[in-house]
Amino acid sequence: MEFDKKSLLKLGKLARISISDDKLNNLSKDLNSILEFVDQLKEIKTDQVDPTSNSLNQKLEVRDDKVDTKNSAEDILENAPEKEMDFFVVPKVIE
Amino acid sequence: MKDSCTLKSLAVLLENNKISSKELTSEYLKNIENGKELNCYNTISQEKALIDAEKSDERRKSQNLRSKYDGIPIGIKDLFCTKGVTTTASSKILSNFVPNYESTVTQNCDDAGLISLGKLNCDEFAMGSTNKTSFFGSVKNPWKSVNSDNELVPGGSSGGSAAAVSSDLCVASLGTDTGGSIRQPASFTGTVGLKPSYGRVSRWGIVAFASSLDQAGPITKNVEDAAILLDIISGHDEKDSTSSVNPKENYYENLNSDIRGMKIGIPKEFRSDKLPASTQKSWDECANLLKTNGAEIVDISLPHTMSALPAYYIIAPAEASSNLARYDGVRYGLRIKGNDLIDMYEKTRSEGFGDEVKRRILIGTYVLSSGYYDAYYIKAQKIRSLIKSDYVEAFKKVDAILTPSTPSTAFEIANEPSDPVQNYLNDIFTVPVNLAGLPGISIPFANDENNLPIGLQLITNSFEEQKLLNVARNIEETINYSETPEKWWLK
Repeated sequence: MEFDKKSLLKLGKLARISISDDKLNNLSKDLNSILEFVDQLKEIKTDQVDPTSNSLNQKLEVRDDKVDTKNSAEDILENAPEKEMDFFVVPKVIE
Repeated sequence: MKDSCTLKSLAVLLENNKISSKELTSEYLKNIENGKELNCYNTISQEKALIDAEKSDERRKSQNLRSKYDGIPIGIKDLFCTKGVTTTASSKILSNFVPNYESTVTQNCDDAGLISLGKLNCDEFAMGSTNKTSFFGSVKNPWKSVNSDNELVPGGSSGGSAAAVSSDLCVASLGTDTGGSIRQPASFTGTVGLKPSYGRVSRWGIVAFASSLDQAGPITKNVEDAAILLDIISGHDEKDSTSSVNPKENYYENLNSDIRGMKIGIPKEFRSDKLPASTQKSWDECANLLKTNGAEIVDISLPHTMSALPAYYIIAPAEASSNLARYDGVRYGLRIKGNDLIDMYEKTRSEGFGDEVKRRILIGTYVLSSGYYDAYYIKAQKIRSLIKSDYVEAFKKVDAILTPSTPSTAFEIANEPSDPVQNYLNDIFTVPVNLAGLPGISIPFANDENNLPIGLQLITNSFEEQKLLNVARNIEETINYSETPEKWWLK
């Protein structure tokens, strides 16, 4: 069992998802099942293979350095759950 | 208005002034109202659609049309950002999100004069193959088995997009496909679903799931309409750095169903004893049909096929965990108050995401975490290279590959397996295509013994959408599949 209660809670911390006690059992069962499924790849030899991160064989183009007026502060803040002046408001970080 | 409407036939009706865009749009809005039980739409843009239709009618009067298809209403998966129209990705975390920008694909549709009827239900963040992970509940498949009255899944993640086309709640729709999310629901609903080559269609403004795999594409009544809609949505977009600079073709204009001399590959790794006899029969019959029509059938091998699904379930969750990190309750979407910043993040994400999304974020976080990165993520990307080279080799010998779209026809909503891995197997035939970045299409071929549609998949080399559509059109012309579901929701 790769995912026990302790490792799952640590993973939840890394992913910033709180996991309640009543969900732990099912979640560990599900994640272990997925892990067991993907572990079958370990049997395939890949020492001489390069990884592919993107199937498109195309050089990334550099964009012209132009000023545009899109993305105004007003637009960006439009969907903010909480805002003040031109800022997103979050709970206090520094005491 | 007849059920057999297509983009092509509606364009003719509009051109001959047999119907106005406003009348047409009202008809579809009525169908949507009468089909509410199917749960296809998350948002119905009643008012906006009618205003846009009136504007289209005015353009027609003043002979100032944006395209031949100006005034035809379509449905849009709720994963495309639409300016001023709620865009939720079928997630609680985005349930209040109203974008102030328009995705390139939906902008292209608007530029052609197409009208949006609203936003179609899908699996949450496009993660699923049954549409059951949607925060707004399952979409119901318009099809039912002749042997049971139980409701069936429409497939997913573009379940609403496929079910809506199948039930005439729109004539055509937009979906997205990361591992089969256009082709699998198309197969379950008797519709045509096309996933273009990676880079053919801009991803800009589409809620990101797995950025190296996501592609938008059409779900339509037939292959001609798929070509028409692909013409409208595809092309280079400077806002998407992975959008291809390859010039696009005029897919509809160049549609040519002559396949004489073509070679069609049948991959042995897709054969399975578990495949339903009726699906195997359709696959065989289709190969014979292509042979009769002048193609040569060639047995081929794609040796790493069975590794595609496990590799996908490393790569897709890894990219998802990174993409979905943006949903933190700070800039948009749901916010749940917490004692401090971290507590707010954790509560917001715990409450805002559904179970499947959480599973994938957690797995993704795990395979990217220190100590596991090489063993899982890099390993999966190496497997991806092997899968891609399988197809590179295959396309040296054949023009197109023919496979089943799905390992089964639509199953009951209540019978969804509880083990997530069992559910992942729905995409076993479609996932390799995304990993290799190829175009693929699912077309309905026949109905099984329960009268449920069987879909077959065609695959061609990158950016050979024209060839893909041509072979699909050849099959369509020959079999003339015209089954439609009985409209039980109207009773």
